[in-house]
Amino acid sequence: MRLLLVEDDTMIGEAVLDILRAEHFAVDWVRDGTMADTTLQSETYDLVLLDLGLPRLDGIDVLRRLRARRNATPVLIVTARDAVQARIAGLDAGADDYVLKPYDLNELLARIRALIRRSQGQADSVRELHGLRLNPITREAVRLAHDGQGDESITLSAREWAVLEVLMARPGAVYSRSQLEDKLYGWKDEVSSNAVEVFIHGLRKKLGSTVIETVRGLGYMIPVP
Amino acid sequence: MTSAVPAQAHSLRRRLLVSVMAAILIGSLFQGVSAYRSALAQADTLFDYHLQQMANSLLGGPALPPVRLEQTRNDSAGYVIQIWSSDGTHVFQSSHVVLPPRAVLGFDDVTQNGTRYRVFSVQTPVQTIQIAQNMDDRLARARSLAAQAVLPMALVAPLLMLVLWWIISRSMAPLERTRQQVAARAADDLTALPESGLPEEVLPLVQEINLLFGRLHESFDAQRAFVANAAHELRSPLTALKLQAQSLARSSGDPQAQQVAVTRLNQGVDRAIALMQQLLLLARQESTDTEHGGLQRIDLHNLSRQVVDEAMAQAQANGITLTCEGDAPVWIDGHADNLAILLRNLIENAVKYTPRNGRVIVGVMEQDGGARVAVEDSGPGIAQNEREHMFERFVRGAAQPATGSGLGLSIARAIALRQGANLRLVESSRLGGLRADVAFAAPTSK
Repeated sequence: MRLLLVEDDTMIGEAVLDILRAEHFAVDWVRDGTMADTTLQSETYDLVLLDLGLPRLDGIDVLRRLRARRNATPVLIVTARDAVQARIAGLDAGADDYVLKPYDLNELLARIRALIRRSQGQADSVRELHGLRLNPITREAVRLAHDGQGDESITLSAREWAVLEVLMARPGAVYSRSQLEDKLYGWKDEVSSNAVEVFIHGLRKKLGSTVIETVRGLGYMIPVP
Repeated sequence: MTSAVPAQAHSLRRRLLVSVMAAILIGSLFQGVSAYRSALAQADTLFDYHLQQMANSLLGGPALPPVRLEQTRNDSAGYVIQIWSSDGTHVFQSSHVVLPPRAVLGFDDVTQNGTRYRVFSVQTPVQTIQIAQNMDDRLARARSLAAQAVLPMALVAPLLMLVLWWIISRSMAPLERTRQQVAARAADDLTALPESGLPEEVLPLVQEINLLFGRLHESFDAQRAFVANAAHELRSPLTALKLQAQSLARSSGDPQAQQVAVTRLNQGVDRAIALMQQLLLLARQESTDTEHGGLQRIDLHNLSRQVVDEAMAQAQANGITLTCEGDAPVWIDGHADNLAILLRNLIENAVKYTPRNGRVIVGVMEQDGGARVAVEDSGPGIAQNEREHMFERFVRGAAQPATGSGLGLSIARAIALRQGANLRLVESSRLGGLRADVAFAAPTSK
């Protein structure tokens, strides 16, 4: 999952960036409103973490411009503006959620997950697909018992999880390698040429070869159950 | 807004009412008495004139025969007419009252049987005519005449008092209205009182009150904005602290990540401390009025050198050459502590915003009898249209060092203003960065 962090405060930005990366999000960080606006015009994100008090262009304006382009990317406003009016203005401008500084890190992460889940049209965070139960919060994959044997827990690496999450979000949708790379890596990450293939291979080995299908010439997908 | 009236306070309205009413009362009384008395005196003269006229008219008539006429008719005016012939025979008597003939001609007062009479006698060769008037009668008539003269006044005085009471009460109504408006307002309501319909005696007072309200309003607003800003600004360092603490907790497995997290946490604490100190400084600057008195003679050059020495360690750590120019003492009147804060803020800003291997020069010189301190740097500078904006609270430059509170220049300017100095940001012509210029007026004391 790829996030855009818009935060002008260096200390907060560094801390949030580290934590989100540790949670295996691909994160890009911009520090002013104009940069945020430009980036959002050229790149696609699964979620935007938006501060409001930004240099050069206010966060609310960044949000309004985004929505004026009919871009429905989930936006989570993270700000110190605590007045009810500011919250109303933020939500009315098209924000999906509003978190006040200082916030609890775990709450922020939970809200990020909730927004991404909702944008994918899912109410429950735990998904069952092709005899597998996947819990993105605990990062736990379980092969469900179907022949009287007990459930089998499967250990996935962080990157494998990230690939699986993207594909599971929209069963039936085909993702090309570069699309998957976009979702997996931020600007500064080094991407090796066959990284995605390696993760797909790993996933097939652990989950079974039928879970992820290769669409020749196009990319990968999880078939609709 | 209290309704308790101090003992020495007096009501204008009551005082006006009492004095005007007393004046009317005393005036009417005095006028009444004098009118009454003069009416009495006039009546007296008039009655005397009557007596004389009656006597003269009788005198012109034929001499009456010596017949004694008893007239029982009681003259309502209480007149007694007696006529004697030249030989002393009583020829006419208008009333049963018989008065002795008077030897004196003209007016005289006679008392008979306890009754006083006013008598007028006139004599011709043929007869003597004497007309007398009962003084009780005369007095009663005179009094009734005088009373009629006084009556309108007795009626007008209360009417006048009533009208004046109404006028005074009405004239005082705007005052009372204003009082009620002030009394009825909420503690934080500082909107102007309505000035329409106020008399010119009250208007200046209300205008002054409104001006005061305006000033209070501004200062309340400034305070409110400051508190709101401060609360807002406190959130950022606290958010950073919280995140840093949480990421420290998460990094427990990785010694290298832990080291980074601890360093960042310390930076966060430093930043919070710096902000706190600047806030306290600003609050102190705003609450203490150092405009008057307490000025000392200060060698600006010496002070600058001290502050430069303090900042030297930070400058070296940042790889910046920090120098102080000028050698002769430059004397000004000011507060050493505040001036040190002013210089420290300017010099620390310059050191903070100047990139590594840059230069910062602090120059002290005499100028126009006053003094000037210039802090120049080779940093990125500030665009001309943004310079004035930098003095606003919580505004940081584009370079954004992590520890900036956004208050340094606000504080510096507040101190400069109190010192009667002028703080400006201009471009440094020799270093290419920013030049903070503080111009001090000439010292007034010797």
